Amino acid sequence: MDRKHFFRAFIPASLAALSVKQAFSSPIGEGKSANQPFSSTNIPRYLQEGDTVAITCPAGPVELEKLAPCIRSLRNWGLKVVFGKTVGKKWQRFGGTDPERLIDFQQLLDDPNISAIIFGKGGYGTMRIIDGLNWEKFQQDPKWLVGYSDLTVVHMHVHSNLNIPTIHGDMGNGFSIEDESCVSLYNTLFGHKVLFELPSSVMNRTGKATGKIVGGNLTLVHACAASKSDIDTTGKILFLEDVSEYKYSIDRMMMALKRSGKLDHLAGLILGQFTAVKQEQEETFNMRIEDIIWDKVKNYNYPVCFNFPAGHIADNRAFKMGIPYNLAVGREWVTLAEAEIPRYGHDLEVVQDSKTDSNSFASADNLRDSTIRRR
Amino acid sequence: MAINPPYLHKKDTIGILCPAGFMPIEKVQTCIETLHSWGYKTVVGKTVGSQHHYFSATDEERLHDLQQMLDDDSIHAILCARGGYGLSRIVDQLNLKKFKRNPKWIIGFSDVTVLHSYILKKTGIASLHAPMAGAFNEGEFTNVYVQSLRSALAGKHAKYTCAAHTYNYPGSTVAPLVGGNLSLIVHQLATASDIKTAGKILFLEDVGEYIYNVDRMFYQLKRAGRLDKLAGLIIGGFTDSKDTVVPFGKSVYEAIHDVVKEYSYPIAFNFPVSHEKENYALKIGVDYDLKVGTKQVRLTEA
Repeated sequence: MDRKHFFRAFIPASLAALSVKQAFSSPIGEGKSANQPFSSTNIPRYLQEGDTVAITCPAGPVELEKLAPCIRSLRNWGLKVVFGKTVGKKWQRFGGTDPERLIDFQQLLDDPNISAIIFGKGGYGTMRIIDGLNWEKFQQDPKWLVGYSDLTVVHMHVHSNLNIPTIHGDMGNGFSIEDESCVSLYNTLFGHKVLFELPSSVMNRTGKATGKIVGGNLTLVHACAASKSDIDTTGKILFLEDVSEYKYSIDRMMMALKRSGKLDHLAGLILGQFTAVKQEQEETFNMRIEDIIWDKVKNYNYPVCFNFPAGHIADNRAFKMGIPYNLAVGREWVTLAEAEIPRYGHDLEVVQDSKTDSNSFASADNLRDSTIRRR
Repeated sequence: MAINPPYLHKKDTIGILCPAGFMPIEKVQTCIETLHSWGYKTVVGKTVGSQHHYFSATDEERLHDLQQMLDDDSIHAILCARGGYGLSRIVDQLNLKKFKRNPKWIIGFSDVTVLHSYILKKTGIASLHAPMAGAFNEGEFTNVYVQSLRSALAGKHAKYTCAAHTYNYPGSTVAPLVGGNLSLIVHQLATASDIKTAGKILFLEDVGEYIYNVDRMFYQLKRAGRLDKLAGLIIGGFTDSKDTVVPFGKSVYEAIHDVVKEYSYPIAFNFPVSHEKENYALKIGVDYDLKVGTKQVRLTEA
């Protein structure tokens, strides 16, 4: 694989080094007007220079020093940064007691001067407080919420209860230099369209799909089952990633998704990174992660994309959850791009290409793929 | 209340199999001999002694072994030799038609929680959360916990007691008992083996989990509404609990207590149901009388 072309159409490498602000100039929304109701989805207003972004820690604790690269980037983008009271706090393994984290999150959610919230850190703790949050003000005046891992709970909760999009991306403690994941977050926050293009894996199942991206960290998707944050995955593109899990546990969680019908009617499936997989003393679960997952979805027809660059890795690309994307998994390349968004009114019909179109799109690919895979 | 399968008589046959993880035949030997000494015959399934990667055999083979024993009228009870992981991979494919007409006791715990829950949900038939083959080894086949399985199979009504624990909530209730391994109980939420807990006595145990993960699983149960309408709660052993580099700051019982302290139903901590030898046979789906006193906890089959 030619590493240079890993994201050939995403962003020219030379531009990444320049000021990211100059690299893109095609915002999707038009300032405040992006707040129009759309398919009963309220899209938060994209950021502009001068806007204020807040950092809070609803899960694990983060020290202020660890946020320095994040703060530098945000300021570099022309944003003001404010800190919730949980930043720098620590109570046991959390960024404050449950009430402290809840109040901090609530205040920032309700503050009309704050245009986006970037969570400080994942870890564990969001589901201890999420049912205590009041979303009324947020629903009237939504803002971007940025995070992943333990914050999957927020993505799922907001998606299933409020139908407001959120951003799956780096958190406060995850910024380093202005690398490509950082650029992708900038573009996503500021409303610049991002096109992902990556080489296709032989494990992939070809096909096309359009649907909202939902999901996140497999453990948390699993942990939200039957709760108020549980999601309906029908017609959606499900995204999953995980870190530090045993293979048997990944298998078991995938079985739970399958048994609860969450894999039955997907438009498509995107697998991010499954990193730091734990080893048992005598590891007898000697299947690759890809095979463990493939085993659960092999009998469906929707496109499946492995090795998407998101998860617990340095290059964790940002994308929006709860907004329709077009996924095209071909034999050579995979592309993922935001679907065209109608500006006003009309409900968007989510086209489930996976069942109908995929045949015409890549029947030859399917044939070829099935022979490769079964080898 | 669930339907009790017939209790066993001398010369009845117990089928032994491994529906999840693998187990060498020599580790099942003492269990077989003990069952013989109790007056039962045994039949050993193809999944005992074999290994397929993590499992005792392929999904198809494990399913087939279990299905055959469920359907075989000459087998009067099925003892799962060990847990591990694997039942949720096959349980939805079981055909319980014959079993429903001719129910038999299914014995096991840990991963077998999935089978207990599935059978209770699909057929309303009771099963036995009880020691498996490993618990018979190292001379332990005479201990009260293994003997409690013997009594249960023979149809004797159980009367268990244990010491009170500081976190207990005193009170008493009579209700059907459900539960098992915490990881598996949360694992099957929203699936075909998801059990309703309202009005029931829920018992939970687990082994080798991180404290934060136990905390998360209890929040999961709470958020799924599985804790708020219980008749009672029994917390078994949470043995070999692990902590993270950043300590959780609480013991595993403290963490559980913090999640359940808002409820007013009787709660008993440190009840002898666990992955250690302290593991009384409990009939899932059957009515029990739970009395949590200031000095003692009593669990009696109603």
